[in-house]
Amino acid sequence: MSSMDFFTAMEVSASGLSAERTRMNIAASNLANAQTTQTAAGGPYRRRDVTLASVDVPGTRNTQFAQAVRGVAVSQISQDATPPRLEYDPGHPQANAQGYVAYPNINPVEEMVDMITASRAYEAGVTSMTTATNMAERALGIGR
Amino acid sequence: MAVDLSTIDTLENALTYHRERHTVLAGNIANLDTPGYRAVDLERRTAGTPGALATTNAAHIPTAPTADFVTSFDDGGALQSFDGNAVSLERELSKIDANRARYATSAELVSRRIAILRYAAGDGT
Repeated sequence: MSSMDFFTAMEVSASGLSAERTRMNIAASNLANAQTTQTAAGGPYRRRDVTLASVDVPGTRNTQFAQAVRGVAVSQISQDATPPRLEYDPGHPQANAQGYVAYPNINPVEEMVDMITASRAYEAGVTSMTTATNMAERALGIGR
Repeated sequence: MAVDLSTIDTLENALTYHRERHTVLAGNIANLDTPGYRAVDLERRTAGTPGALATTNAAHIPTAPTADFVTSFDDGGALQSFDGNAVSLERELSKIDANRARYATSAELVSRRIAILRYAAGDGT
């Protein structure tokens, strides 16, 4: 018989929820820092980007179809390399010799879209987890 | 008269298959934003396909094909996006719901079958 139970399905869904929450956090952080001109590392804030990768699910034994079951994990959080946006503002304390201030390379619309897609994907993950719970409860009702 | 439990065995295989299929479909949902990920699905092969040993003597015990007769395949039902991801949210969610309904049907049938046996085992009241 199979080694998979409903907990495996819930673990898979949980990995998706956690990945989407990370995307949401990073998008929020990018939005919050859209005007940050000074950071501890020097220079303006740089946009963060989340990369996801599918992973094996621990606990699935090496059955014929175990490789079909894929969880997800954050593989890296990288910094966007695009140059900062320069704005002329000679009175600004961070202005350079030419009077330009370097602002982060962030497009709020792009971040909002990322946030919405992450939120929808999170909802879908909750739905599939709820379905697994319903199915498990259904199984417990057999013979009652 | 022997008690026939084959119906329950068959339904049990169906329950296992739908549970495993749900796990695979949940993986597709989890990978909605994974670059290069393609949606997979499980296919259930019917009994009598390769894997079941032939019985040439009445004393041989037939090998019952189980829910392990399942293969995964690239479902190819979604358009690929810019990052190479090919998972359709609506498609996966409708598959999950249909799969859940089939699971519930099999579970209900097992319950009914057990109820019949219980009725027969009692004095018919």
